[in-house]
Amino acid sequence: MVALLPLLDAILQHLTLVFTSLAIGISLATPLAILSVFYKRVSYVVLTIINMAQSIPSFALVAIIVPLVGIGFVPGIVAIVLGSIVPIVKNMYVGLAKTDIALIDTGKGMGLTDLQIVRYVRLPLAYPAIFAGLKFSAVIANGIAVLTAIIGSGGLGRVIFEGLASFNINKTLSGAIPAILIALSLDMIFSIAEKKLKSKSVY
Amino acid sequence: MTKIYKESKAINDLSFEICKGELFVILGSSGSGKTTTLRLINRLIDPDEGAVYLNSNDTKTMDPVKLRRKIGYVIQQIGLFPHMTVKDNIGLIPRLEKWKEEDISNKVDELLTLVALPPDLFRYRYPNQLSGGQQQRVGLARALVMDPPLLLMDEPFGALDPLLRMQLQNEFLSIKRKLDKTIVFVTHDIEESFILADRIGVMHGGKMLQIGTPSELLFEPSNEIVSKIIGAENKFKAIRFLQAKDVMIPLDKSCLIESDISCKETINMMISHKIDSCIIKKSNSDIAQVSLIELLNEKDKAKSILAIGNKLNVFASNDTLSSIISLLKSSNESMAVIIDRGNVLGIVRINSVLMNLV
Amino acid sequence: MAAILDTIISVWTTHQITLRTIQHLQMFSIALAISIIIGVALAILVYSNPRLANVWFNVLNIIETIPELALFIFLLPILGLGEKPTIVACILYSILPIMRNAYTGLAHVSNEYIEIAKAIGLTKNEILLKIRLPMALPLISSGIRVAVVYIMGIVTLGGLIAAGGLGVPLQAGIYRYDIPAIIIAALWVGTLGVIFDFIAWVIESRLARRFNPW
Repeated sequence: MVALLPLLDAILQHLTLVFTSLAIGISLATPLAILSVFYKRVSYVVLTIINMAQSIPSFALVAIIVPLVGIGFVPGIVAIVLGSIVPIVKNMYVGLAKTDIALIDTGKGMGLTDLQIVRYVRLPLAYPAIFAGLKFSAVIANGIAVLTAIIGSGGLGRVIFEGLASFNINKTLSGAIPAILIALSLDMIFSIAEKKLKSKSVY
Repeated sequence: MTKIYKESKAINDLSFEICKGELFVILGSSGSGKTTTLRLINRLIDPDEGAVYLNSNDTKTMDPVKLRRKIGYVIQQIGLFPHMTVKDNIGLIPRLEKWKEEDISNKVDELLTLVALPPDLFRYRYPNQLSGGQQQRVGLARALVMDPPLLLMDEPFGALDPLLRMQLQNEFLSIKRKLDKTIVFVTHDIEESFILADRIGVMHGGKMLQIGTPSELLFEPSNEIVSKIIGAENKFKAIRFLQAKDVMIPLDKSCLIESDISCKETINMMISHKIDSCIIKKSNSDIAQVSLIELLNEKDKAKSILAIGNKLNVFASNDTLSSIISLLKSSNESMAVIIDRGNVLGIVRINSVLMNLV
Repeated sequence: MAAILDTIISVWTTHQITLRTIQHLQMFSIALAISIIIGVALAILVYSNPRLANVWFNVLNIIETIPELALFIFLLPILGLGEKPTIVACILYSILPIMRNAYTGLAHVSNEYIEIAKAIGLTKNEILLKIRLPMALPLISSGIRVAVVYIMGIVTLGGLIAAGGLGVPLQAGIYRYDIPAIIIAALWVGTLGVIFDFIAWVIESRLARRFNPW
């Protein structure tokens, strides 16, 4: 038998892990992406690191957090942010950098500063790309959040690991099924947002 | 061959015959239906009405794949597959026809030699390592690999620069003489059609306006559109006013050699610049021309480039066209070089000048 | 310095990292090979039967969103613990990027090449195998590069379900709070991931350059 209340608790904890990490991810990615748009050298460094980070297995990332930050909820968040920030930065940078030059010139002609152009021209036009990145990032965050249970972050992963340790299939499934449902709903929500923004944008 | 075809009149009640062994040029502007006509012949498209007959057999009764393997096909620009070497491009159909590997190699070498590309240098190159002219030669070699009795060519020299185009046209004519093939050649270039054709068919708006030899079209155009297309009216008058600089083909700087380098260095330079022919300036009055093939055939590769080449007539840029033509005629040369205050500006080909006038 | 070297050697031997690496790469190569075969085969199938394309891509897209560990859980009752579910999970994740790129590559060969291939007398199948497929190679290889990264990640997770490989020392390090083991194993796995991605990138860009039409 699987206790319902602890499961609900785990789900809540899991969602907290995912969304906190996404929020931190966005707030870190935004300045990085904007700086990359304006400074060639920053963009080179950022993109190189990001491309390398993408090829590191997530388990290795989670493990290396232990000596660096320790174990528990916060280290879990750090691991999830590190593992899932790449698509946000990448898509945000590409979205911001690929804005039609003519529109930017129009903005300049109207007397907007560089930052105002980002705020009112580049950013709105980049929304579809940014949301595509957020979707991918959310799906990855959800996957790593399952994994970080191994370093004591709690969440649905803990249910799965406990089930695995005690060979309790029902328990593992009670952790895995909500995790899958969360993945599908994240994918769906961000897909809808992406589509809505795309139909609104000029292109 | 006879065909009638209608499709929003891209081809409109078209009917003509091509004789065995002739080089038949279909001349027309874009949209005249000339390329469509070519594609009807090898069944890349099928007519809505009428039929194409090959040796009085209706092509509709033949398997299109087998039919196409018996018809060579050369097109402008992207004709070679970029993922295959020269050898694989040429040997593709023989390989699919399960020839022996040895036979394929021999055939490829034979054809490369025919189109003046030394097999040892070119066999294993990829198309992006070839110049435009070399690609076009490989394209021709590929079209000839199954020894087809019929060859279709769709503006094969259209994308090349004028100097190279003329060289390839001449080479093509001499290759054609060696082979006994029926060739249908599509072009919008009147000069090219006059140089190459046994007979020319002028197409316009999906119709064949007139078929005839170059001189028939020039002197007996059947209607005004033909004479307009051929441009027979007023160009002869210009011969007295035109100067050398008006009719010359400007010379690309990379085609000009002024320093004392060896044949070998010149060959390397020409291959890396992808040029087939270059001008050697020995002094202000002594200027010669040499082609890559001639250099490759030169026994002593260490010899100075200044010691070889075919000497050219030299004219100033304000010499009149009539004086150039008469001098070239009397010395029986076909090419001259134009200089201005010691700088080589360009070259004049008598054929192209005359054709321009026509 | 010598102390660090000693620690590395001792971790390397106690955790049998050489053996784990061999297991790791074995699973990696098997999974990659099968993914490529299935991915390209499915792409060809879907290319010649495009009505099913959307169904295929939607199903694979859903699999792609499932957390790897959750997928393991679903494979356990069918395949048990160990290498089998790990390799199958790798394949399930990797088919999509390979198949999607291969499909795009097959479908987007420039029409001029198809025309000339037809004109010199290639049949439909010959055009697919001799022209479309080789010309799709650059795109296929970039799909494979994505798959390489996926498979590296999932094989590492396989350590959690008794598949062996380099996930084992990572897991052991975390459970025993053995910091040197964690650092060495994580750095080693990370380095392998970066190296394999780099190799895939080199192959990809070589192909892209060769196939770049002039």
